[in-house]
Amino acid sequence: MQDRITGYANGIFELAKAEEELERVENELFTIAQALDDSPELRSTLTDPQLPMEKKQALIDDLIGGRASSLSVDLVQLIVSQGRSSELSDIARALVKAAAASRDKAVAEVRSAVPLDEQTIERLAAALGRATGKSVEVKVVVDESVIGGIVARVGDTVIDGSLARRVDSLRQAVES
Amino acid sequence: MQFLIATILYAEEGESSSNVSLVLPETAELIAGIIAFAIVFFFVWKWALPTLNKTLETRQQAVSGELAGAEKAKVEAESLLSDYNAQLADAKSEGNRILEDARVTAEQMKTDLLAKAESEADNIRSKARDDASAEKSRALSDARTQVGDISVELAGKIVGEELDADAHQDLIDRYLADLETL
Repeated sequence: MQDRITGYANGIFELAKAEEELERVENELFTIAQALDDSPELRSTLTDPQLPMEKKQALIDDLIGGRASSLSVDLVQLIVSQGRSSELSDIARALVKAAAASRDKAVAEVRSAVPLDEQTIERLAAALGRATGKSVEVKVVVDESVIGGIVARVGDTVIDGSLARRVDSLRQAVES
Repeated sequence: MQFLIATILYAEEGESSSNVSLVLPETAELIAGIIAFAIVFFFVWKWALPTLNKTLETRQQAVSGELAGAEKAKVEAESLLSDYNAQLADAKSEGNRILEDARVTAEQMKTDLLAKAESEADNIRSKARDDASAEKSRALSDARTQVGDISVELAGKIVGEELDADAHQDLIDRYLADLETL
C-alpha cells in the first residue's frame, strides 16, 4: 500500500512538474486532503462502494470544479475513479513531501485555529527549521480543534503548543 | 458256720432234754460256744473285716473323688462365671467407649461444620464487601471520567469562544518565542 501511495505521488509529482503547475497542484491537493480529513461524511461518501462512480465524480466536480486547477480536478477524479479515495489524503501528503524534497526541504504541517499571515508563516519556517535542523516548508492547516496556539509536525517530530493539549492534560489530571 | 449251727442245735437239744436251767447253759455247752465264737470271731476278724474295710475305703475314695470333681466343677463354673462377668463388663465398657467415641466424633463434626459454615459466611461477606467496594470505585471512576470529560469539553469550548483575534495572535507569538529560544 505504501508503494502504491508513493507511486501515485511520484506520478502526480512528475505530471504536475511537466505541466509546470507543481506548486499549485501540490497546494490544492493538500487542501483537498485536509477537507477530506476534516469531513468524515465526505470521506465515507467517496469511499462508499455502493455509490456509482458517476455520482462521486459529479460530487468532486461540484466541490472543487470551479475553484481548483483543471489538472488538480482531473488528478482527483483519476484517484477516485481508480477506487483509491481512501488513500487520497495519504497520496496528497506524499506528494507534498516529494515536492518539498525536490526543493531540498522538509514539510512542516502547522495546525492553527485561525489562519496565519505571511509574516507568521515565515517566522515559523525559520524557527522550525532551526529547531529540527532541516530546511522546512510550512503547510498551514486551519483546525478549530486546536482551540488556540499551534501544533507543528515535521516528519515524526511534533511540537505542540496548543490549548487543546493543555485542555487534554487538564482532562487527564481530572480523570486520574 | 456249719459248726456254729450244729453247736446251737446241740444247745437247744440239751435245753429240751433238761428243763432245769432254761437261761444258763450248761458248762460244756458254754465252753463249746465260747470256742465256736472264738473261731467265728477269728474268721471274721481275719478275712471279712479287712474286705469290708477295703470296700468301705474304696467307696469313701470314690465319694471323695466325686466330691473333688464336684468341687472342681464348681470352681470351673465360678471361673466361667467370673470370665463371663468380666466379658460382660468389657462389653459394657466397650459399648460405653464406642458411645463416647461417637459422641466425641459427633461433637467434633458439629464444631467443624460450624467453623466451616462460619468461614464460608465470612468469605461471602468479605467477597460481597470487595465487590461492593470495587463497584463503588468503578462507579466513582466512571463518574470522575464523565465529569472530567464534560467539564473539560466545556472548558475547551469556553476558552475557544473567549479567544479573540488578539488572544490567538498572542498564543501564536508565545509559541514562536518559545520555538525560537529552543
